[in-house]
This record gives sequence, structure tokens and C-alpha cells, in this order.
Amino acid sequence: MIALRRHAVLTALIVLAVVMLVPFAIVLINAVKTPAEYSSGGPLALPESIHLDALRTFWERVDFGRKLWNSALIAGTVAFLAVVLSVLNAYAFGIGRVKGSTWILAVFLLANTLPQEQLVYPLYYGAKWLGLYDTRLSVIIIMTVIQAAFGTYLLSAVFGTFPRSLLEAAELDGAGRWRILWRVVVPISRPTLTVLMIFFFIWTWNEFFLPLVFLISNDNQTVPVALATTAGDKYMDATMQSAASLLGVLPAIVFFLLFQRTLTRGITVGAIK
Amino acid sequence: MATEIRKGERAVAVSKDAPPPVRPSRTVSYWLYLVPSGVLFTVVIGAPFVASVVLGFTRWQGIGAPTWIGLENYQRLFQDERFWQSFEHNLVLILAMAVIPTFLGLVLASVLFDFVGKRYGARTASGLRAAFYLPQVLPVAVAGVVWTWILKPTGGALNAVLEAIGLPGQDWLGDESLALPSVGGILVWLQIGYPVVIFMSGLQRVDPSLYEAAEIDGAGWWRRFRHITVPQIRPEIYVVLLTCTIAALKVFGPIYVLTRGGPGGATNVPSYFSYQNFFQKTQVGYGSAIATVLTLVIVAVTFLFLRAQRRGEETS
Amino acid sequence: MQKKSRIPVLRGLAALAVGMMALAACGGGSDENGPSGAKELRLWHYESADGAMGKAWSAAIAKFEETHPGVKVKFEEKSFEQINQSGAMALNSNEAPDILEYNKGNATAGLIAKQGLLTDMSDEVVKRGWDKLLSPSLQTTAKYDDRGIMGEGNWYGIPNYGEFVSVYYNKDLFKKYDLEVPTTLDDFTKVMDEFVAEGVTPLANAGAEYPAQQYLYQLALSKADRAWVDRYQLYKGKNDFKDPAWTYAATTFADWVSKGYIAKNSAGTKAEDMGVSFMKGDFPILVSGSWWWGRFQTDVKNFEWGSFLFPGNTLHAGSSGNLWVVPEKSKAKDLAYDFIDITMSKEIQNLLGNSGGVPVAADPAAISDPKSKELIELFGKVNSADSLAFYPDWPAPGYYDVLVQNTQKLINGSAAPNAFLDAIAGPYDENLQDQGLGD
Repeated sequence: MIALRRHAVLTALIVLAVVMLVPFAIVLINAVKTPAEYSSGGPLALPESIHLDALRTFWERVDFGRKLWNSALIAGTVAFLAVVLSVLNAYAFGIGRVKGSTWILAVFLLANTLPQEQLVYPLYYGAKWLGLYDTRLSVIIIMTVIQAAFGTYLLSAVFGTFPRSLLEAAELDGAGRWRILWRVVVPISRPTLTVLMIFFFIWTWNEFFLPLVFLISNDNQTVPVALATTAGDKYMDATMQSAASLLGVLPAIVFFLLFQRTLTRGITVGAIK
Repeated sequence: MATEIRKGERAVAVSKDAPPPVRPSRTVSYWLYLVPSGVLFTVVIGAPFVASVVLGFTRWQGIGAPTWIGLENYQRLFQDERFWQSFEHNLVLILAMAVIPTFLGLVLASVLFDFVGKRYGARTASGLRAAFYLPQVLPVAVAGVVWTWILKPTGGALNAVLEAIGLPGQDWLGDESLALPSVGGILVWLQIGYPVVIFMSGLQRVDPSLYEAAEIDGAGWWRRFRHITVPQIRPEIYVVLLTCTIAALKVFGPIYVLTRGGPGGATNVPSYFSYQNFFQKTQVGYGSAIATVLTLVIVAVTFLFLRAQRRGEETS
Repeated sequence: MQKKSRIPVLRGLAALAVGMMALAACGGGSDENGPSGAKELRLWHYESADGAMGKAWSAAIAKFEETHPGVKVKFEEKSFEQINQSGAMALNSNEAPDILEYNKGNATAGLIAKQGLLTDMSDEVVKRGWDKLLSPSLQTTAKYDDRGIMGEGNWYGIPNYGEFVSVYYNKDLFKKYDLEVPTTLDDFTKVMDEFVAEGVTPLANAGAEYPAQQYLYQLALSKADRAWVDRYQLYKGKNDFKDPAWTYAATTFADWVSKGYIAKNSAGTKAEDMGVSFMKGDFPILVSGSWWWGRFQTDVKNFEWGSFLFPGNTLHAGSSGNLWVVPEKSKAKDLAYDFIDITMSKEIQNLLGNSGGVPVAADPAAISDPKSKELIELFGKVNSADSLAFYPDWPAPGYYDVLVQNTQKLINGSAAPNAFLDAIAGPYDENLQDQGLGD
């Protein structure tokens, strides 16, 4: 009886997971159709045979290898830098408990709360003035600050519950604050840091608006901006768009699955105590 | 109640629960850790924000010199009923993007961690977690297209399923009373992976002996959930609730790709107004005024929330 | 510039911001558009490579490189969205291309012309005779005055294809129910009655995007003349939303929904899905633009289809296609003009026509594909009678959404025709006041 109930929960979860993935299946079946097949059968009909033309054409048309590299460079750099900044800030807020941290945190969170379009004109003129318009660096800097705001908030909350006894023990051993941060606080927070890294990478990977505005030349463009070339003005190229999104989503999924292992491993607090 | 004592260039923080170790020569003030972000924040967010607030008092088309018009934009905005009414839609979206995902996410994360992970192995749990997270990876423009295919009134997947089991099909995105709930449902799908991943990582921090002790005491899953899971990952719950609420208040992408605020304004949201003014009408001045008001609302919500969070942490 | 503020701090900040913007706007002036020196032509467009325009323009690029030895064309494919949202910013920077495709109309090309981002090419147009190739209604979208309003003033762009709205029909379904191609609006109504009687919804529609408002506009045009179009589109006189044409359009549209010509559940449908439902054979009739032609030509395999002009109308929604524009910051303006000249040549125009596009200066005899010939003959009728009436969303920026949302209410029956007309009148008049055009 217990075994049956146990399987019922698992079955329910698997059904839910399959439902969650239905949209991906729809993208997949349209990516391998011919445009004529899509037009005559509609988007939900199964493909009669598998055509990889759209994938190949899209890859060549937008020089997809180049876009992949740009996206990976931008998302990777942002993920790393934003985690570092978040750790530094959260150390001061969550463990250092600097005065007025609620206020400062609220101000930092502005980066998250402001609608991006509000910042875009001033940032555009600023980037032009600094000679950074149409450079990947401009997007890296902006995205790093935006992501770090979120990271600071999450980590500050998590660090707030950090066992004080561990910090005191390290201080008694003669470790300075800098050393405590990297030798005690960071290793123990690894699961959360990994989550941040994953989120930052994937959010930056999928970011559409800022790269659209700041990376005007095709050599600097990212995957989502290239993907937009399949959405026309009067109608769209559905098979091409599905193929393109498949190509664009795969690296992000691979990244998630790779880091998922670190997520699960974690460090048990009990082991350190 | 931390106090700050400044002595020349050195500052030493004194915290109420831990007497400070006196090693001034090797201790860097916590304030210094905020310097890199402080500088970057000022350049990337602070200055542009101030500039945009100023632009809210001008008429400007994005290029050339702005014309100062004082409070005209705000007078216009305060008379625009559609703008204020669209905040009502935000309440539904907060439910769909913050409240429901947080609750469902807690349950799912806890079941995966505490039940599936233990009985079926960590691999099964991570596989399911990946499936719940994947909607976050799909670009919103593509997700929007796929969902309109699923929800089409004729030939759509959902109506086909409903009709097969004898229920009437609906015009999910075209009916003015159904559109907002439909969009809400899609947003739940979109959001759910985020809390699941955060909460599961939070659960890693929990001392396993707590669960073991509870199980020995014969506590069922629900009691362990209420008395261990929720209190232990409270920081994460706050973070998810607040960030999702912010996201719901400024939601734009999903609305744009699914309904563009339609049918007949049934899914209009405040951020859609600022988008229209920035990019369709190129009234950057008016757009900035709208965005500033929206920002003020969000900042107020954020601050109230952060204060509640701090109190919650102090009492726990 | 008069400042009304009494708050010194704000005023100071404003001055600072204005100064910063002005400084940034002036920075990096590039006036070295040496006529002969340029070795590169940087060109952007956003047409898909296998569409009619994409094919014609890549042939034009090849031709250009052939006739300009030593000059490379550096072509970059952009997306519609990118040019739409950040085109002006790019043109205002040093990364501006030498020539690009840009969306026509007051809110797009007109706006950046007014902002001084585009080169006035009036002299070149006369010198090269492009004006002789374009009919008056095609020229309308190429000329903008100093307020950025189309129709009069200087030439800021050159269109080299046209577009127009017509009626597509499924010949097999017409044959099945023994129906003839209608020539008057009354006949058209009878045909639709027949379909409804057979349980078929006659018109494919999409309420969430442009198609629904084009039905509405075609109906208004059936009671309109050129002066009406000039009032509505070019602000020559006062447009009245309660006049017979608008009233007829709104009441007839609502009537068509209640009679079942237009599906009641089409308010949330998108244009793409409307097109696919026609191509699947779900609907016998689709009223939409010539941009579908090439797509139907390649993708419709299961039935015969044809097209006719909206029955009884002397005016039709439509206009020139997008424009070739030359940014003020272009470093190779002469080369850009040479390129435009090539796109207007018979060779490229004929290729455009043979690929399912609507050329403006093709040689009809050179169009070999029968289906393409049909399209070009249809456009010839519209163009020679100068009956292009533009699109309903053009008169005001952001008007597209106004029309979409209110037409949805008309479809759903949540607004009566009269209320609908009031609702669309508001933002129209507001724009007139914003632009200083009101009385």
C-alpha cells in the first residue's frame, strides 16, 4: 500500500513534468517540418519526415557560430562577475550588517526594479560618449550590475542566517575578514552561489532588449537578437523560428544540466560543525 | 543594533551578539566591500535613473535637445484612467507570478528534496527539477508563439483535449473575461522553475539531522514541511516573493507576445504604456514620466517588503 | 527654450542632462563622405533571403559589385524589430550604415527625417529620374515635410516595390459550392451568405493583429474618395469619425460578425495563424495584403487559389513598400545612390516580379511566371488608377494598438459601432494636438 502511494506521487510529478515540456515538443516538431508542411497541416500536426534544412539554413544565414560565441562570452563573463560582486556586497550586508543595510539594499535593488526602457536612452548616450556603443563590453557591464542587484539581495538574506559560531571560530584562528570570506563563507554557500551562476548565465543568455539596442552590428550580436530575424513584420517564418529557437535553447539547457550536478552535491553544514 | 565607531581611517563594526575581535591592522571595514558595486551602480543605474527622472519633465523624441515642460507629463498621466486601471491587472499577475509559484515551488521543492530524492535517488529528483526549470530557458518570444498555438480557439491543443473529454472549448486569449486568467496560467508555467531551483538549493543548507530526528518522532511529511522546511529556508522565500512581485509589477514581455494588452485592453499593464511611449510614439519624455511613476510604486512596495522581512528575521 | 521650473536643483540637473545629451549627439561628426574615396558600401535590410525582395536585392548587390570594381558591399541582415526599436539610435551613431531599408510612414521614416538623420535626396531623384517611375500614391511615402509628415516636402527615401490589400479565395471551395467571383459588394455578401448557409465561416480573420482593421478600412474605403483619404491620412481638412464612411464601416463590420461572416472567436487570433488557417483550407476567403502572395505560391499545395480586388472599391488599402534611405552619416552617399539606381533597373525589378513581389518599374512582358503575372496585373490596375489608400493605423503613432484593441471589442460585441468610433476618435485627435495640427 505504501509502495503504491509512493509511486502515485512520483507518477503525478512525472505527468506534471511532461505537461511542462509540451511547448518544447511543439518547438521540436516544427523545427523539423518543411514550411509547406507547416502551412498545410498547421503547427500542431506531426511532421511526416524529418527535415533539417531550416536548422542548417538558419545556422549559415546568421553565422550562428559567431552568435553562440558572443552569447557565451557575454553570459559567461556576466555570470562570473555578478557572482563576485554579489558575494562582496552580501558579505557587507548579511554578515557585516553595515548600518542602514535595508536602505542601501533597496537602492541597489533599483537595478532590478527599474523598467529597462527607462534607462535605455541615458545609457545609450553614456555608452556613445565613452565609445562603448556597439561593444560587447557595454552589455557586459550593464548586465553585471543588474544581475548583481538580485544576487546581492538573495545572498544577503542567506548570509544573514550564517552560523555565527563558524565565523567566531575562524576569527579566533586569526583569520582576517578577507580570508574568512573566501575560506569559510564562500565554500559553505556553494549551492546558492551555483544557483546564482546558473540564473545569471541563463537570464543573460536570453536577454533580448539590451543587446538589441546596444549591439547593432551583426558581428557583436547575440543569439536572441539573431532569432528575431525569423519573426517578420506581417507574419513569421514558423519553421525557421522553431529551428532557430531549438539551436538557441540547447546551449542554455546543456549549461543548466552541467551545473545541475554541482547543485545537487552541495556541502552539508553538519559536516563542518 | 550594530554601531559604527570611526577612528581616523579605520572603522570597526561592533555587533551585539559577537564581541569584536580586536585585530584592527588586519581587518578591512565591511564598507570597503561595497565600493566596486557602488561605483558601477552609480554609473550604470544611478546616473541614468536621475537623467530619466529629469527627462520626465521634458518633451523629447530621443534625439536632439529636450524641451522643458515642467509637470505637463504628470498632469497628463494622472488623468489617464487606463494607466491607473491597468494596475488592477497587476494584482492578478502578482498572484500568477509571485504567490502561486512561491507556494507551488515550496511544495514541489520539498517533495523533490525530502521525498523523491530520498526514495528514488538524487538523479530522479534532479531530472524532475530540470523539467520544471526548462520553461525559464525558452525565450519568451518563442514561448508566446507556442502558447498561442496551444490556446487557439479552433484547432488549438487545449480545446482539442477538452472537447475529447466532453468539455466545451474556450476562446482563451480572445475572450475579454478569460484572457487575463489565461495569461496568468502561462505565467505560472513560466515562473515555477525559479522558486523550485532556489528552494531546493536552500534545502541543502538544512541540517539533515533535523529531518532525521523528526522522522524518528514520527512526524509526517506535512509536519516536517511546516516545522522544518519552511522556517529553514525563510530567507529564500522572502527573496522569491519579492523578486517575483517586482517582476509581476513590471511584466512586459509575456504580455507583448501573447496579447499586446488585448483583447480590448483586458490585459493592459502599466509597463505596456511606457513601452508604447518610448518606442511606438517616441515620446521619451512622457515615457520617462510613466516609468518613473511605475518605479516609485515598485520601490515603495520593495521598501515595505524589506522592512517586513527584516522584522520577520529579527523575531524568528 | 523656456524653462518654467522654479526648482533650481531640478533646473540645474536638466541643464546638465541636456548638455550631456547635446554633447553626445554632436560628438564624432563624420563628414568625410568622399564621393570617390569609399571602398565599401555598408548596407542593411530586413527582408528574408528567400522572399522576393531578399532575392532581388542580393542580385542587386552582385550587380553593384560587378559595376563597381574595387568596392565591397558589406551587407548585414537585420530584424524588423531591431530597426524598429533601435534604428534611430544606430543612425545617430558612428555605426550608421551607408544605406538601409527603413519602414515607411510618419512615425518611422518621417520621424527620423525630421530629426535630421536622413539625407535629403531630392536632387538625386530628379537627376536619376526615379520620380518618373513612381505613381503619386507611391511617392507619398517617400516625401516628408519638416514636421515629418508624408506627402509633401523633400525626398528622403525610395521605395522599389508596392503592396496592396486584395481578396484571396480558395477556388476549390468556390467550385464545391458552385459560387462565382463577386464583382460588387452585394454579390460578395451573397457569396458569404451561401457559405454561412453551408456551415462554413467565409472570412479568415485575425483580431489580435492588423487583419481585422484592414477589413474595417476596406469597408470604409467602399464609401470614400481621395479627399476622404487625404483628410484622414494627410490631415488635409478635418476627418470626421461619424461621417457616412466610418459609420458604414463600423456597423457593417459588426454586422458581418453577427451574421457569421467573421468568426466570433477571432479576436485573439494572430495574422500568422489566420494565414495558416487559409492555407489549410479552413476558410474560403482571406482579405489581406500582397505580402502573402509569395508564401501562398510556394506553400499552398492542396487547392487552387486566386485573388481579386475588394469588390466595388475604387480605393484599396496599400502603399509603397519599405524605403531605401541614406543616413546623414553615410560615408558613401554616391555609392548608395548608385545602388538604389540598380534596384530600380528593369533587370532587378523583373526579378522581383518573377519572385512573387510587386515591382514598381518592371517590364510586364518580362514576367514569365503566370501566378506572378496575375499579381502584377492586379497591382497595375490599382496603381494606374492611383487608388492606394495607405493603412488605417498610419495617421498617429501608436494608433495600431488603438485600432487592434477596439476592433477586438467590436468582434466580441463588447462595444457598439458608435462607441467604437468614439474610442478610435480620441487618440487620433490627441495626436493632432500633440503635433500642433489641431484647430
